[in-house]
Amino acid sequence: MATHDTDVQISICGSAGDGTIAAGDLLKQAMAHAGYRVIAFNTYPAEIRGFGKCIARTRISTEQVYSMKPRSDVLISLNDAHAIPHVGEVRDYGSVIYESAPITRLAEGQHISGHVRPGQLPYGLPLRELSERATGSNRSRNMVALGFLAGLYAMPREVFHAAIKAKFKTKPKAVSEATIAAFEAGLEVGAQTHRFDLVELGEPPESLPGNVQILSGNAAVAKGCIEGGLDNYFGYPITPATTIMERLAHDLPVHGKRMLQTEDEIAAISGAVGAGFAGARAATATSGPGLALMGEMLGLGVMAEVPCVIFVSQRGGPSTGLPTKTEQSDLNIAVHGGAGDAKRIVLAPTNVEGCWRCAGKAFEMAEAYQTPVIVLLDLYLSNRFESVNFDPDENFNLSIPRGKPKHRPGESFRRYQVTDSGVSPRSVPGEADGLHPATGLEHDEFGHPSYEADVHTAMSKKRHDKLNKALKHPAITISKRFGDTGKVDVGILAWGSTFGEGLEAMMLARKEGIRCAAMKVVMLSPLPEAEISAFMDDCDEVLVPELNFEGQFANLVSGTLGRPLHRLNEVTGHPMSVSAILDQVRALAAHNARNAA
Amino acid sequence: MSTPLHYVIIGNGMAGNAAAAVLREHDPECRITIISAGALLFYNRYDLPNVFRGTESWVDLLVHPPEYYERNRITVRRKSPVIDVDSKRQVLVLAHREELHYDRLLLATGGEPYLPEKLKDSRPLMHNFGTYRAAMTMRAALPDGGRVAMLGGDVMGLDLARALIETGHQVSVVTDERTFWPHEVDDQERPRYYEALERMGIEVRDQGEVDRIVEGAAGMPARHITFACGEDLYADVVMPFFGIAPNVDFMSNSGADMERGILVDGHLKSSSENIWAAGDVSQIWSPKSKSYRFYYGYRNVRRMGETAALNMCGEAVEFDTNDDDVIEIDEAGRIQSPFWEHD
Repeated sequence: MATHDTDVQISICGSAGDGTIAAGDLLKQAMAHAGYRVIAFNTYPAEIRGFGKCIARTRISTEQVYSMKPRSDVLISLNDAHAIPHVGEVRDYGSVIYESAPITRLAEGQHISGHVRPGQLPYGLPLRELSERATGSNRSRNMVALGFLAGLYAMPREVFHAAIKAKFKTKPKAVSEATIAAFEAGLEVGAQTHRFDLVELGEPPESLPGNVQILSGNAAVAKGCIEGGLDNYFGYPITPATTIMERLAHDLPVHGKRMLQTEDEIAAISGAVGAGFAGARAATATSGPGLALMGEMLGLGVMAEVPCVIFVSQRGGPSTGLPTKTEQSDLNIAVHGGAGDAKRIVLAPTNVEGCWRCAGKAFEMAEAYQTPVIVLLDLYLSNRFESVNFDPDENFNLSIPRGKPKHRPGESFRRYQVTDSGVSPRSVPGEADGLHPATGLEHDEFGHPSYEADVHTAMSKKRHDKLNKALKHPAITISKRFGDTGKVDVGILAWGSTFGEGLEAMMLARKEGIRCAAMKVVMLSPLPEAEISAFMDDCDEVLVPELNFEGQFANLVSGTLGRPLHRLNEVTGHPMSVSAILDQVRALAAHNARNAA
Repeated sequence: MSTPLHYVIIGNGMAGNAAAAVLREHDPECRITIISAGALLFYNRYDLPNVFRGTESWVDLLVHPPEYYERNRITVRRKSPVIDVDSKRQVLVLAHREELHYDRLLLATGGEPYLPEKLKDSRPLMHNFGTYRAAMTMRAALPDGGRVAMLGGDVMGLDLARALIETGHQVSVVTDERTFWPHEVDDQERPRYYEALERMGIEVRDQGEVDRIVEGAAGMPARHITFACGEDLYADVVMPFFGIAPNVDFMSNSGADMERGILVDGHLKSSSENIWAAGDVSQIWSPKSKSYRFYYGYRNVRRMGETAALNMCGEAVEFDTNDDDVIEIDEAGRIQSPFWEHD
């Protein structure tokens, strides 16, 4: 099998407490260390433990991929009741792996083997029995299943052993030994099982250049925060942003920095704005409900021109909504939310590498343009794992010049001086000659409250105009076009995590002979109008796929540019499928062809 | 509106699949479930010798593509051996402890390769050819131009022997009373048939009982057979071909009368309510010989499946037991068996 053909997606489905996510975690770690490209996404219930469905999906490839496949090649069931509805997700000639020796009698239809479709290949093995034999406990069924998978597809055992040891390095040695024993018990059976499925795992590439790590979106954010010079983090936990705080709680003190868990989201952003005012690089992270609470302090940050960064990982809403489901429905509040004309920078990365980059760049931008910056993630991106190739020579700018306070004789420091760039000189508390009032009230150049019409007009213009410089900020992609150049039948305009699916749909459409291009838009505010407009000029039809009901990005684009576009909106709680986008592309291309005829 | 009947067929071979097709045709609303111990959909075992003629994937051997089962609403339960049949409750118990209710049950489990008691200790040193997996394992063990020693030499084995000779391998048939099984060739006729085999390029070793089979010495073929008469034979692969034994162990609690197979009347109905049998597992009453007997071969097996299905749907069709298939030597001096002819 040629190595470039490897593109296998494995789903592990079980109940909370079955070790489903743990098995998926080891699989992706092992495969990444074996040299494959990996992208993985877990879904799990809102409840902590004991019930609810968990699915760990891992896509393993030798070429870069951008989304999860709509159909898996392999499904492992650790709980048939949960896994049965997902059997149909396995492709023809793919495989379904399951417990062949349940301990209780089952009524008709309760065993997954009865749901394996004719085109799929069943593999049953006594998971519980093998676990008990290897470890004295049935709790390692997940490791037996993982071992079986490794044996069946001749995956290298060493990388699994290393991943297991790394995972349990803080536990007594007996834990990793028992886990490896269970893994080996499954591997032995898998290696002896005759394989009928047509799932092929080729050799991994010799090596990938650069510094390859496998990270979740939130872990990449934390890495970007550390490398971007974050000094102080203030947080209040909320799904799916909590793991940012958890990582920073560990990593910041290591770097001599501080993390404070606050009593609520209002305190968190207050801390971040306060620290930003004091000259620190400061941040908080939350989800949609938390961002709603932060609105007032966010406005203060805009008005007082205080740098700070807010990471927002979107989940299903409104209100408490769907805490463990993904959605892209906080665009409106991120771009527009709050009182007054409180324009701010909003970045929306499209992949895990982008999470790292946007995090680091957000601190640069916050300081450079003296404003709060929102980095808009979503659950699919926060919890998604990808192997990322980091360039060790690429660094963030940790020293943005603030400008020196200058005085005319007998005059105070003009902290909010109107300049050509719109960016004023800035001082921090205690800095010589930098004394100035800072307030949420409208103010003149000195910071003194003022309600004069010309002052409010000038200051509003200044606060808006300065942000346009961010569109040219160095070493970050604000928007980018992929696929066919020149005129195309259909253009896919996407943002956030859905761009990956859009990109793969574009590639498939091109293979079908449809002239197609895709544009990712990373900066949602200010919007790169010229680039989007040029893209739309080239497209006979423009499709905007996004995971919200109203078409918030489509509204933003069409409202800003006044141009027609087609919407594809889903609020299923799950990532949009490539096939859903591709179907729309096909329909638009066909419609366009009919019109042309 | 009445509840559709649930027809359950144990066995995923020719008889079972032929029955399923007829059931769907005659009862469009019914549920049909085929239960199989194997992992694959129905493939033609008579085509297995083609693994030596270029067939590289089991997919090429499938009689029906997966869509056929979806389209005809035939559920195929694979890797689901039946461990018990409770004919009073009309329930099957599968090995993974799932219970399955049936309204009407067809037994079409076929048979396992028969191995004489005296050779059972040597089983690890022999290869079978009854399944795709076994065929591929055997193929992998046989070097190009290598020799196969066939013990017994039933017609299925001789069909494989034809493919092996055709593809440049060597075959030695170690004769036995079951050579040519299920055809009956009397002692007087046998030398003529052995000569015909040799004309086909097959070596005939008519040397009596095998004493033992061991691994070949270093540098020699992988297997070494010693005969009671003192002669010996080296081969790369040793394969037993002594016919098949019906697979009926799981029926012990079913209440159906059994001998070597399931005893059925001319309608292929067993003595147990709502249970029929077809194929190599069924021992059919022959009014002519006034005994229960087996009928083998592709055409017989398929017709049994179809007949049983019609009767399960309420018809009263008699299985024609008068068609005796005979082995013969053609004008070119080559052996011809009707069991080698199939679609």
